[in-house]
Amino acid sequence: MNAESTLTIAAKLIEAWTVETRTPEANRLDVMVDGAHLLEAIRVLVDEGWGYLAAITGLDTSVDSGVMEVLYHFCEGAAVLTLRVSVPRDGASVSSICGIIPAASFYERELREMFGVRVEGMQGPKHLMLPDDWPEGLYPLRKDADLTMKEAEANGDSREG
Amino acid sequence: MSELLALLFFPAGLSLLAGGLVYEWVDRKLVARLQNRMGPRWYQPLADIVKLLAKEEVIPTGVNKLLFVGLPIAALAGALTSALYVPMFGLAPSFSFPGDLIVALYLLSLLTLCTGLAGSNTTNTFSLVGATRTLTQMFSYEAPFLLTLLGPALAAGTWQIGGIDAYAQNHLLLLTQPIGLLVALIGLMGKLELSPFDSPEAETEIVAGALTEYSGRGLALFRLGKNVELVIGLTLVASFYLGGLANPLEFLLKTGGLLLGLSLIQAVMTRLRIDQTVGMWWRYGALLVLAQWLLLIVTQGTVS
Amino acid sequence: MATQEKGRKFIVPIGPQHPALKEPGHFEFTVDGEIVTDATVRLGYVHRGIEKATESRSWVQNLYLLERICGICSHIHALAYCLGVEKLAGVTVPPRAQAVRVLVAELERIHSHLLWVGVAAHEAGFDTLFMYSWRDRETVMDLLEALTGNRVNYSANLLGGVKIDVTDEQSDAIWRGLDFLEDRTRHYLDITTSDSVFLRRTRGIGVTTPEQAKRLGLVGPTARASGIWHDLRVDAPYAGYADYPITMIVSDTGDLETRFVVRIKELFESYRVIRHILDTLPDGELVTRVPRRIKAGETISRVEAPRGELFYFIRSNGTDSPERIKVRTPTMCNMASVLALAVGHQLADMPMILVGVDPCFSCNDRTVVVDQGGARGGWTWEQLRQYGIDYYRRQP
Repeated sequence: MNAESTLTIAAKLIEAWTVETRTPEANRLDVMVDGAHLLEAIRVLVDEGWGYLAAITGLDTSVDSGVMEVLYHFCEGAAVLTLRVSVPRDGASVSSICGIIPAASFYERELREMFGVRVEGMQGPKHLMLPDDWPEGLYPLRKDADLTMKEAEANGDSREG
Repeated sequence: MSELLALLFFPAGLSLLAGGLVYEWVDRKLVARLQNRMGPRWYQPLADIVKLLAKEEVIPTGVNKLLFVGLPIAALAGALTSALYVPMFGLAPSFSFPGDLIVALYLLSLLTLCTGLAGSNTTNTFSLVGATRTLTQMFSYEAPFLLTLLGPALAAGTWQIGGIDAYAQNHLLLLTQPIGLLVALIGLMGKLELSPFDSPEAETEIVAGALTEYSGRGLALFRLGKNVELVIGLTLVASFYLGGLANPLEFLLKTGGLLLGLSLIQAVMTRLRIDQTVGMWWRYGALLVLAQWLLLIVTQGTVS
Repeated sequence: MATQEKGRKFIVPIGPQHPALKEPGHFEFTVDGEIVTDATVRLGYVHRGIEKATESRSWVQNLYLLERICGICSHIHALAYCLGVEKLAGVTVPPRAQAVRVLVAELERIHSHLLWVGVAAHEAGFDTLFMYSWRDRETVMDLLEALTGNRVNYSANLLGGVKIDVTDEQSDAIWRGLDFLEDRTRHYLDITTSDSVFLRRTRGIGVTTPEQAKRLGLVGPTARASGIWHDLRVDAPYAGYADYPITMIVSDTGDLETRFVVRIKELFESYRVIRHILDTLPDGELVTRVPRRIKAGETISRVEAPRGELFYFIRSNGTDSPERIKVRTPTMCNMASVLALAVGHQLADMPMILVGVDPCFSCNDRTVVVDQGGARGGWTWEQLRQYGIDYYRRQP
């Protein structure tokens, strides 16, 4: 089975929740999904055994738009299906898909740490990648993250020990 | 003057410590060459000890200080004392009395006991796991090892090391009790926690096992103790099974040969898990020795 | 009650500094006697903020940055990035360059798998195998050095091609090296499948069934040892793999022994492909021109790293630096299986199970920002020096 027909099958499976589709390049299909229906769409893919979750990408393109995107990449052979969920920059949140795909746990924890996207129903401690004393509310992969160190802090006592 | 000489040449004195370092070097070098490595230079074990002795001894919090400092001393003392009853370097034992074999063997176990205690004395998790494993391993190899050394004693009809040695010089027990030799050699490896019986100090799991918290002098003493025990163990096995130790040359050849065997086994084996070690000793080691004992008792009974 | 429960727990920490780990990671194994009852992991000790850093560097600079994500599979990172950017820019890379890319990628796989055999043997306490396999690994390191000038971080890729060519002498040297390695590899396959003591530590240990592997999302040789038919070199041939096909090595036993067998058999496959490439290396250019600014767009680039599927998501906004580069390394997928497998096994098996997935913490921890006090904050050399002096002055 070639990648095109595989993607056609996938598109059919999640048709009910599709807002818009795009084909950015060969062997790929981007499907915009409403955050509320994300779990249902993913459950159908998993139940039907279509591909595997390859990664979750957070995407912050501009501060002005007021939204960020969360991309769920599913792969089957050469075909890549991407479910795109748009979330507001303030109070961003998506549902955890760990209940369906346990392997997503690390990806979701990374997403929360790097983009400040709240993942509803996610297990696990606060930090996976960043230091324990990382400042609250600083999400480094957001475009507006201020990563310069304040002089006082840099020379302060917080780094002792 | 004579006292100074005694200190130097007395079998359990400095010469024994030096012998231990030499044997450690030979072992390390042999294993290294078998593993296609260069291995240490001849003075490396000595350099290690000197360095450790010169270093600060860190006493961790939460330990009983008396035990922490005392255990390495007791361990080395036990090993050195047991040398008094053993024909070290092919010379006659310094002290001897009927039944000294049992005393020597118990003194040799002191090192393992001390290691186990030292591990459980600290609050370090690696040490605690290491201590548990050390003591578990001791319970598994100790009985078979003891029985293999009692085999020659039974044949010789005496429990005096000197007596067994004299008997062994005329009877090559290697031929009559081959299983005994094998089990004794492997038991010695278990005692010294050499690969494949090094799970009590498996570095990829529990760092350095029971001795993880030890540094400086304490570690140096434990290591010296282990080196001394290596020499004594080899001496006992060589004396009992390889036709006795009549002179220093025989001692060198026989213990050297055994050491080569030990190195070979170390190089070709994978570390056994502690449950595998225990299983092996009780399932095969102990049974084999018991079978040999039975055979021995039956044949002795028919001969006499 | 909860605190009491916690007080009674006996936790063995492995890492961040531990002889079992050559890279920093922190695992906590709760043990009951020798049996592990719970496991947790903490990553990020080698977090260098590479994903963020790519956004402020040009497309060309990023090639060198991304190659340094991992010291072992450096070529494959650069390759994934190059393939993605070339796709975005719409350039076609000459076939000779694609063949050379595959050649280096397979040499790198040999070096990585041989390294793994040694490390895994060491974790089991079989140091002799460790020493021998690493000695033989030097052969392939020498070949890579002769070919690219470097033992690691080969820097063979350029956007639009490769910067190295394979001469006849190099080709001969690789042939000779492979003959030697093939002979040795056969020996290692024999040892790992017949040494009874070693098998006691690998056979039936850490068994991952195909269902588990699928549920945990395993990738690479680890997944293929559990009966998962995934290999991007076959599923979605990239670079030159369409011309130099690979046979997938799959076995469904799923224990540690199988992971040895699958990886070692993949070595034979690599030897075969490299010879095939050397025999039929197409003539032609080595590099094609790639514009400084890359057309706006998004692309996904997936390649088969030695440890499994490596996933790059690249987004360009038409400027001379990328808007977002997302790297999902194979270790990220496989790491979760360590925690799942740990429970119920013996503490002594932990290093083996951990290393069984061939973890690469540097790969795993890549993303985000320079450390808080780092260069971004504008520490000058003088400030750093002064900080050091002050720090030690404050010590009792």
